[in-house]
Amino acid sequence: MDTTMVHATIDGKACEFPKGTSILKAARSVGVDIPTLCHLEDVSENASCGLCLVEVPGAKSLLRACVTKVAEGMNILTATERCMRARKTNLELILANHPKDCLSCSRNGNCELQAMAERLGVKQVRFPRTRVADFVKDESSGSLVRDPNKCILCGRCVTVCETVQGVNAIDFAGRGINSRVSTFLQRGMDEVACMNCGQCALVCPTAAITEQDETEAVFSALLDPTKIVVVETAPAVRVGIGEAMGMGAGALVTGKMVAGLRRLGFNKVFDTQFSADLTIMEEGSELIHRVKNKGVLPMITSCSPGWIKFVEHFYPNLIPHLSTCKSPQQMFGSIAKTYWAEAVGADPRNIVVVSVMPCTAKKFEARRPEMDGAFHYWKDKMKLEDTESFYDVDFAITTRELARMFRVAGIDLERLQDEDFDDPLGRSTGAAVIFGATGGVMEAALRTAYELITGKALPSVDLKEVRGFQGIKTASVDAGGLKVNVAVAHTLKNARIILDEIAAGKSDYTFVEVMTCPGGCIGGGGQPLPVDKEKREARAKSIYLEDAGKPIRKSHESPAIQELYTKFLGQPLGHLSHELLHTKYRPRAGV
Amino acid sequence: MRLASKKALDALRIEAAAHLFPETETVIAVGMGTCGIGNGADLLYQNLEKSISSYISTRNKMHVRLKKTGCFGFCSEEPMALLRVPGKPALLLNQLKPKDTDRLISACFSPDLLEKLAKSALAKIEHWDFRTSEFNFGSGFPSTPLWNEIPFFKGQEKLVLRDCGLIDPENIEEYIAVGGYDALAKAISGMKGEDIIAELKKAKLRGRGGAGFPTGVKWELMAKQPGPDKYVICNADEGDPGAYMNRNEIESDPHMLLEGMAIGALAMGASNGFVYVRAEYPLAVERFERAIAQAKDYGLIGENILGSGFSFDLSIVTGAGAFVCGEETALIASAEGRAGRPMPRPPFPAQSGYLGKPTTINNVETWCNVPLIIARGGDYFSGFGTEKSAGTKVFSLVGKVKNTGLVELPLGSTLESIVYGMGEGSGSRKRIRAVQTGGPSGGCVPTKLFSTPVDYESLSALGAIMGSGGMVVMDQDNCMVDTARYFVEFTANESCGKCTPCREGLSQSLRILNAVSRGEARESDLSELETLANVVKDSALCGLGQTSANPVLTTLKYFRDEYEEHVRDQRCKAGVCSSLYLALCENSCPLHMNIPGYLQLLKEGRLEESFELTLRGNPFPGTIGRICHFHCKMRCRREALDEAVAQGEIHRYIADAMYKIGREKAVYAKLISEKLPPTGKKIAIIGAGPAGLTAAYYLVRLGHSVTVYDEHDKPGGIPRYGIPSYRLPRDVIDKETLFITKLGAKLVMKTKIGRDLSFADLEKANDAVIVAAGASEDLPLGIPGDELKGVIHGYDFLERLTLKTAPEIGERVVIVGAGNVAIDAARTISRLGSEVTVVYRREKRDMPANAAEIEGAMEEGIQFKFLCAPTEVLDDGTGKVKGLRVVKMSPGGIDESGRRKPVPTDKTELILCDTIISAVGERASAGIAAECGLETQKNGTVKADSFSFRTAHRKVYAIGDIVSGPATAAEAMGMALRASRAIDKELAGKASYDESRFESLFGSFTYSDEIPDEPVGDAMRRAPMIPVSERRRNFVELSLGYSGKQALEEAERCLRCDVGTARRERQYKNREDKRVAAGRN
Repeated sequence: MDTTMVHATIDGKACEFPKGTSILKAARSVGVDIPTLCHLEDVSENASCGLCLVEVPGAKSLLRACVTKVAEGMNILTATERCMRARKTNLELILANHPKDCLSCSRNGNCELQAMAERLGVKQVRFPRTRVADFVKDESSGSLVRDPNKCILCGRCVTVCETVQGVNAIDFAGRGINSRVSTFLQRGMDEVACMNCGQCALVCPTAAITEQDETEAVFSALLDPTKIVVVETAPAVRVGIGEAMGMGAGALVTGKMVAGLRRLGFNKVFDTQFSADLTIMEEGSELIHRVKNKGVLPMITSCSPGWIKFVEHFYPNLIPHLSTCKSPQQMFGSIAKTYWAEAVGADPRNIVVVSVMPCTAKKFEARRPEMDGAFHYWKDKMKLEDTESFYDVDFAITTRELARMFRVAGIDLERLQDEDFDDPLGRSTGAAVIFGATGGVMEAALRTAYELITGKALPSVDLKEVRGFQGIKTASVDAGGLKVNVAVAHTLKNARIILDEIAAGKSDYTFVEVMTCPGGCIGGGGQPLPVDKEKREARAKSIYLEDAGKPIRKSHESPAIQELYTKFLGQPLGHLSHELLHTKYRPRAGV
Repeated sequence: MRLASKKALDALRIEAAAHLFPETETVIAVGMGTCGIGNGADLLYQNLEKSISSYISTRNKMHVRLKKTGCFGFCSEEPMALLRVPGKPALLLNQLKPKDTDRLISACFSPDLLEKLAKSALAKIEHWDFRTSEFNFGSGFPSTPLWNEIPFFKGQEKLVLRDCGLIDPENIEEYIAVGGYDALAKAISGMKGEDIIAELKKAKLRGRGGAGFPTGVKWELMAKQPGPDKYVICNADEGDPGAYMNRNEIESDPHMLLEGMAIGALAMGASNGFVYVRAEYPLAVERFERAIAQAKDYGLIGENILGSGFSFDLSIVTGAGAFVCGEETALIASAEGRAGRPMPRPPFPAQSGYLGKPTTINNVETWCNVPLIIARGGDYFSGFGTEKSAGTKVFSLVGKVKNTGLVELPLGSTLESIVYGMGEGSGSRKRIRAVQTGGPSGGCVPTKLFSTPVDYESLSALGAIMGSGGMVVMDQDNCMVDTARYFVEFTANESCGKCTPCREGLSQSLRILNAVSRGEARESDLSELETLANVVKDSALCGLGQTSANPVLTTLKYFRDEYEEHVRDQRCKAGVCSSLYLALCENSCPLHMNIPGYLQLLKEGRLEESFELTLRGNPFPGTIGRICHFHCKMRCRREALDEAVAQGEIHRYIADAMYKIGREKAVYAKLISEKLPPTGKKIAIIGAGPAGLTAAYYLVRLGHSVTVYDEHDKPGGIPRYGIPSYRLPRDVIDKETLFITKLGAKLVMKTKIGRDLSFADLEKANDAVIVAAGASEDLPLGIPGDELKGVIHGYDFLERLTLKTAPEIGERVVIVGAGNVAIDAARTISRLGSEVTVVYRREKRDMPANAAEIEGAMEEGIQFKFLCAPTEVLDDGTGKVKGLRVVKMSPGGIDESGRRKPVPTDKTELILCDTIISAVGERASAGIAAECGLETQKNGTVKADSFSFRTAHRKVYAIGDIVSGPATAAEAMGMALRASRAIDKELAGKASYDESRFESLFGSFTYSDEIPDEPVGDAMRRAPMIPVSERRRNFVELSLGYSGKQALEEAERCLRCDVGTARRERQYKNREDKRVAAGRN
């Protein structure tokens, strides 16, 4: 790292910056916020929007602050008439072909373009629309909606998909005014290798890519007196929903969230963390089983649905490495509609399971055809027809959708008194909480696996080696003479590195955790936006705070889980577990 | 055959050179570039091949070798071949037809036939300077010009193109024969990387792709990067419309490029390279692939080149032809298999380029210059061109220019020398208006700036760029708005869409330009267009975007009046923007008469309506039908089939026929009855010529009170006083001017402003004053003796003849000049019985007078002395003219007027005569402008707005020759038409002006809109003329005019270009709207 400093003036004020600093970053550091719509720190340097223009006397044209590095002696002017005019003209040019339906747009009030128009003082758009035809809106994916008409071609989504995820599901297509972000051969998102991770939606400055909104369907279920509507909330939601409701980044609002969900009318407020503990039981047992029986190793976690789809598309040969465990969301659905339904004597067909997830891919996962374990459980017992089949999880809504529901219902989250989850599916341990952050599943699994293997208590509950935002983390745990090598990766681009090693036979890992999104679920595609590294860190911090405060921090110590096995499942990897908690994967096309 | 060392290469060179143009063999080399093949060179080649083999079977001693070469660069003369018989100069043969085969072959055996062939050859080559060797072909064929003596090649300096057209591009040994690969061998065996770069810096070579970055500096940056995993790339993605230098360089001499790249790789420490070439250049791809294969076979690329240990591998990448891929970062993306979208720089390719490795990209021509610089040294190269722009540059000269082709010239040559020198102008009477350099990234440079030297700095100072070397010449038929629109459409389509200013800005610019070309734009749109262009230029991400504004900015800068014409008048003078005209005849007519309309009405037997239609637009149909220049005919589409339609002759027929049967009275009455209600506004017009009377005609009909003042005793101006009655009988002009007074205009004759009436009073008493005083003051001859008795001014003479106050004319009269005044004077004086000689300094085809008048004068026995410039009027000793001394001229190069510039020779001639009529032009009289207090230009014309014709004085307008200088009556009347509308609008108060007031003057006619399926008729009908024998000593009208049958047949020839045009549709729509508004149906 070059630590040389360069000297420059910004709007007449002399400053110094580390060599290699962009004008944009430099100016921001001294309190000059140059506008941009395409630049996204650490993600996108597309330099396409044409707003961050600054004037440097002597330069032939205006310079883009986002990609131009401060040079020694540079005289940077950020507010000259020339750059103001060019910025405003470029913004108006973008607005000319952008729909003017702000009032009914899902990003209304949370749109960077709208905010920029206000900021740059656009009072009227001088230019009429020039694009003749509308682009087709793609709603084929159950997770995401793409409306290229609202796209301003900033390229953030393309960059995130390529550089963060290494997926390239979307790219620019067409030329000139017909340029658009599109898929391979302009197929529907359901027909291409899109992982539904939603990182694109997270970085989109407008409503060109959004989650598939299911809030109205959930409201309908809540208003239907014949339905028992239960909700499960993923660990990362409790550190995201506060932020989405206008509280600080990473605000930990578990109790308020539970209270809010009750106000919305859910019959029971349960917790996905319950099934996260269950996952540890099953997955930990599976790992031990594989190790003992020389099964396929390394075994890789299967909680993250984007990641599962990724393997199915790009590494179908490595499918045997995936844990057969369903994700906590799906385990919850199966248990709610079997064990809990029996316990409360409810008809499973009348139970509506709504999950609140930090994730857009969960919508896809909930609709995977094989995710109907409860239906098969009941099919013979209740003599059900195939046409009466139901999913284990009926709706998977994102943190953002939940916030929308709170706002619709007039729920002021900040002022609610904390409430607690319902029994028994609302009980969980600290191990379950940390599922929300990268390395969490690994840490939770090791807390249990160590004890299952060694029969001894773990020397320290906190496995700090697998925490943090480093792309790939590795650790080695000695479990009573058994050396367990583990790796943790977040983002699919990092996952690719590990998969390539496995494919090449160069991997000596026993167990690998992969999370699709940066930072794990706390950085999921369904979380509040905009997001940056600091916000992700704040959310992760709250996750670990919750864990630390939990009286029980190991999944196998959870009384609710123990009761579930005693009363219903029998033992991990048992027959019923196999039927309800495990699943199969299938290869998918590579494009 | 692998060459293991420099020595082996040198040995091969000597051997190969002997085979190039051997002393024992006749060589026929056919130019087989894409353009040659496109013009039939392949067929010619096949025929020659067949002929030669049949000759071989009949005559065993045949030694004729046929070969394919690249292109010699003269596209408009393709197909071309080079024929060289041992010992004789090589002959450049042009425009060869397949049937010329025998002529060529037989010339190979017969010295006589060869001499004959040489006479028809384009040029000969006696000597050629290749890179390492000089080649003497021989001397002979004295009447055939040397290649570099003919205009197209004169001034060219073939450095890059030195082998093109002379060697077989598919044969590496021919390249080696002319010095190929010696530079590489030299570099490899004795030079370090920094030596090579130092040589390039000394040569001052700059990038030939357009931006002109110093190549040596670029290479130095790359050389500093750690190697050897570095790339050299050749950018052959030439995509400018009209540019094809790079294609030809590869097609004609692929090894030159290959050698340049190998030297570059050596200098910069790269071991890999490729040529990125567009797939639309299949022949270039094929030949370059072959060149690579051959060079590999010979060990000139690949491993261990010439035993030096240096290895370099080269390949081809074909691009799908996106313009933006010429931008280096987009090119790299495309070559990597990604979409061709530019990336922000830095990092520059030298830091992180192809596959993230250090990369240097140069244009084809840049690479091609390298071997020469290394072979002959940097100083040799920088000896060409200018201080800052060294060397030569190849341009493709295309468009409205006679000689099209590739020209290579030292940088710093002027645009003039290229367009008029090498290009020899437009090749027609059409005026060249501009040259577009640099394609869509360049600008339009107007003719007035043609003295600009072609170098990087000078062109960019004009807002244009050198670009890769496209040079598109445009003439008066090119609309500059359309040109800008075309290029913006191109760049808008080619924009990769990545950055906002380019993607959206160009789309909006195109929208505005489309609106302008459809006449739908407002004046504020022009400033918006300019703002947009500036923002795009200032903020687009890559070169494509930043320069895409140039065509807009330069046309706005240099041709703003043309934009304004589209916006303010909804007219496109060039006749390109099809929404703005009814038909090209109508568009060319200064009065915009609905010519197809009156032709159709005549065809339908509706003579009266036909007359009414013409009269509504033109108060003098009989007069103009006789004396017009017939602008309408100049763009008639019928000309493409046989001849233009004689619209004017029909015009005259319609008037004459109506007058003959006396039916014009009813139409006159109709127009009088239609006069709009009095407005109470008073308008004074100074001058009762065509302009003044036409303005009076419109303004009176609009309800204004009009008074026309003129110093003559009768109205009519120049047509009455300057045009002899054998062309325009006085009764016609009497009748037609009388109608103006019948309409209610007041004519005050014999009244001179400043003498009889003060301008100030006139201005005070009227709401508007129109100055239409004409330009009839003769220019002096301007030679010694021009004040002698017997020297008479042309116009003055014609006028005084009409007034019967003409001075006496001698027996032998010399007329100096070539315009209509000169010919009118000549034919008049000839009728009076004198012997007449017309003296003109240029050639016959250059004469500005009407062609029919010149032919008539010749028929009547008038002598013409062309290429004679008067130098002195000789005195007979008594102060009277004795004769005129002229100097003989010879036709030189093409000048700005598109004609050959007469160049004085040392021969003079004395023409004895007693009278000299000086008819070298007229000018506006300075007196009237001064009297009216109007600002004038250098040439004496009055300054007025070009749309409203308003002068700096609010109430005062000026129209006709006093504004334009001597022009045609129709043009003066056209100004009157436009000024009348402007005045009516002004007097009505702009805000509430009802456009239909003015439109109503033209009435509404319905007629068939059937387009003739098959064009009928053949050549133009010609009106009978009085025989030459009956023309002496009288002034009876020469032309008898069409018969009814002739007129009808001629009208039938019209192709009805107006049907379906947007303007016609609009007319219909307006009419329908009016009908609905009036409650009629």
